[in-house]
Amino acid sequence: MSKTKQRKAVIVGGVRTPFVKAFKEFIDLDSIDLADAAVKGLIDRYSVPRDVVDSIVWGGVILPSAAPNIAREIALDLGLPSRVEGMTVTRACASGLQAVTLAAAAIERGEYDCAIAGGSDSTSNGELKLPQKFVRTVGPVVMGGRATPADYLQLVAQLAPFTDLLPRMPKIAERTTGQVMGEAAEDMARRNEISRVAQDEFTAASHHRAAAAIASGRFDAEVTPVQTRKGTVYSDSLVRGDTSVEKLAKLRPVFARSGTLTAGNSSPLTDGASAVLLMSEEKARALGYTPKAAFRSWAYRAVDPADQLLLGPALAMPAALDAAGLSLKDIGLVDMHEAFAAQVLSVLKMLGSDAFAKMRLGRDQAVGDVNFDTLNVHGGSIALGHPFGATGARMVTTMANELQQGQHETALLGICAAGGLGAAAVLERVA
Amino acid sequence: MTDTLVELSRNPWFRQGIKQLGLPIPTPQKLARTRAPRIERPLDGQRIGIMSESGTVDKALAETVIEAGASAIIVNDSQISAHWTNTGEAFGRAVTHAGLGEESPEQTVHGLIFDATRIDRPENLRRLYDFFHHWLPRLGRCGRVIVIGRPPEDQKNPSKAAAQAGLDGFVRSVTREIGRKGATAHVIYLAQKAETRLKPLLRFLLSKRSAFISGQPWRISTRVKTRVTAKLTRPLENKTALITGAARGIGAATARLLAAEGARVICLDRPGDEDATSAIAAEVGGVPLMVDITDPDAPKLIQKAIEEQGGRVDIIVHNAGITRDKTLARMKPEWWDQAVDVNLGAVLRINETLFPTVLGDNARIVCLSSVAGLAGNVGQTNYAASKAGLVGYVRSAADQLAKSGGSINAVAPGFIETRLTQAIPVMTREVGRRLSALGQGGEPHDVAELIAYLVTPGSAGTSGQVMRACGGMFLGA
Repeated sequence: MSKTKQRKAVIVGGVRTPFVKAFKEFIDLDSIDLADAAVKGLIDRYSVPRDVVDSIVWGGVILPSAAPNIAREIALDLGLPSRVEGMTVTRACASGLQAVTLAAAAIERGEYDCAIAGGSDSTSNGELKLPQKFVRTVGPVVMGGRATPADYLQLVAQLAPFTDLLPRMPKIAERTTGQVMGEAAEDMARRNEISRVAQDEFTAASHHRAAAAIASGRFDAEVTPVQTRKGTVYSDSLVRGDTSVEKLAKLRPVFARSGTLTAGNSSPLTDGASAVLLMSEEKARALGYTPKAAFRSWAYRAVDPADQLLLGPALAMPAALDAAGLSLKDIGLVDMHEAFAAQVLSVLKMLGSDAFAKMRLGRDQAVGDVNFDTLNVHGGSIALGHPFGATGARMVTTMANELQQGQHETALLGICAAGGLGAAAVLERVA
Repeated sequence: MTDTLVELSRNPWFRQGIKQLGLPIPTPQKLARTRAPRIERPLDGQRIGIMSESGTVDKALAETVIEAGASAIIVNDSQISAHWTNTGEAFGRAVTHAGLGEESPEQTVHGLIFDATRIDRPENLRRLYDFFHHWLPRLGRCGRVIVIGRPPEDQKNPSKAAAQAGLDGFVRSVTREIGRKGATAHVIYLAQKAETRLKPLLRFLLSKRSAFISGQPWRISTRVKTRVTAKLTRPLENKTALITGAARGIGAATARLLAAEGARVICLDRPGDEDATSAIAAEVGGVPLMVDITDPDAPKLIQKAIEEQGGRVDIIVHNAGITRDKTLARMKPEWWDQAVDVNLGAVLRINETLFPTVLGDNARIVCLSSVAGLAGNVGQTNYAASKAGLVGYVRSAADQLAKSGGSINAVAPGFIETRLTQAIPVMTREVGRRLSALGQGGEPHDVAELIAYLVTPGSAGTSGQVMRACGGMFLGA
């Protein structure tokens, strides 16, 4: 594809809310409230002139059914100019990255000069659905008009037994296979021979790195405090700097009796939001910003969810590298979403496997071994938490800040998502 | 058309009762079947025990079994070859090892595969015993046994020819031993350099699609000149199929299966059967074609219809057939003529017209023969002559088609539960049903599965053969 005039979208900055455990401090804030907080934090931190924002592009997984287009609600809540339009996208746990790459594509296509993109989720405010049986039986009588008392009596008879009428706790289960994500990851651990010890070691490192980043103030530039009714939340609440492989070893498996996945080495249900400011390079420089990074490529792929549900990044990451014209050894930093330690380790194992490369990717050689010192340098979703829609934008922000420091030229991102999806992107420093 | 004994035998109390009382009543196993189109991993999560040594077959075996979703247990007296470990790693199915001649682990396996290609002396047949003695008892219900050898007729060494021919007898006997469990066995005679053609057949035989096919010697060769790039799912996309006698029974079941795999189906049946033919054509999104195949103009009419439908036919299933049974002394000459003409003459005439005009490259032709025809039957001299004639025809025509990548095979159904067999007197019918290793009759669907396999591009290794869908019938070996 040839472009007459190549526009480049750049990442000016990113800000997120603290990530907190679901049903805790943020219980009063729904996904829109959290998104408002992140975007407001971003606008304030970067002193964004409100009239330059063209659009908000937002990602979410559990969308509020009364107002699913969160992006537009953010613009209205924050009193941005009425012309600031908004769209909301969903691509499971890759929704945040999807929103950011979509905004970058729109900027490069000349649609916008400036967009705010990101994602949010509030697991605490996931709406409990009335069972379909209730809706389909009661709906026509109550809302269909002209019901007699006899109709209502008949209704009661139809609904018995009442056991299946109670609202159910929402599960992160695949629609096609019914398999809960943790069970799928448990299966991957078994199939790829990922040991409990390896998972717990990976988990401990994630916590230690995240704790170090918080302690050193590394996240101060990208986390904004959030007001709640009970006070202000300043910092991520899930990170445990004092954890150890020994402590993690004491936890019991949660998805299979003799399994290896525990609450420790899995990412927790989390509330939070994350936002990224994107502009055309021209616009950014005109407004006096120093761009931190730009997308060199991205790729979305999928695997059969009934096989290895969370293996998608093993396909998407090589695809993004190819699109960027780079190989893994050219990459300075690697940032992977940690849904489960077992999932990350499975993907890493496949990236390092010649056999996988030959049989599944049609390449002669393995994509390569990821150096652990360059992987998730400030921890990942296991330690920080994983508000589904927010994670992609968090990773983009952290890596953009890391690249700006000047030690590395490129960063490779990888995210697994429900439905067997895999997402990946290559970021590069903008000098 | 349910088989009461099969249904009753699903009840464990019934099985137990028969066993306790020592009654001479068979308790046939309900066969595991699938009605869905082909899927990527038909063996998902299943365990397969494999006697495999490093060699040329090893790679094809490893890729087939593991890609299809199964976990492999390699049984030999050396170690697991790199093909198995690598493929296992790529697909996340770690391969385990067990010693040959050692006790097998206490776990059910869905399939057992024995690579016998290197057995070259009669005393080496002992390896069959060493493997199956321990592992056959582990085979689960509706399991599969597959022995892979080299064609005895290709062997220059008489000792190897003898050993390889021995595999056939072994497998036929295994068929009888495991039939009660609904399990089936096959021997695949794989010619040198035909390894790339093994995968589609193995996937078919190991899957539920081959439920009623047992005791068959398969020959895979490079005779058909084509490159096998077999699509695992929807293999018949962009193919046009002509099926004669498509209104009901095996023809209708075949139309459904071919359409489900992506083919456009022309459903041919005789004038007078418009309703049933239109119904099946509508069901499969195909085209009805009303032609009497004994009509001298029939080949031209069919050719014209194909030209109207795009001008090319890739698959022909000659399924239409009739019986005109009488002992030879009482048979009228026109009955002889009718049976031989519909079953054999018309097939040849249609092919002779279609082959040079509208038949595409890499064509797949299947002619319906019959086990009764092969074995011979009282009152069926005309029928058996015509059905056996087809066997000779496909052998010869295979050469003609091979150059353009085409194949032609015959399919011989055994006892199939259809309108035809419902009319057989009850006692004869009951004997017919039980006279097979699986102890039951098949469904038209089962025959259609065999036909559907033989018309896929991946079946290129097999041509000029007669394959039976007979549940391991005792007749007509």
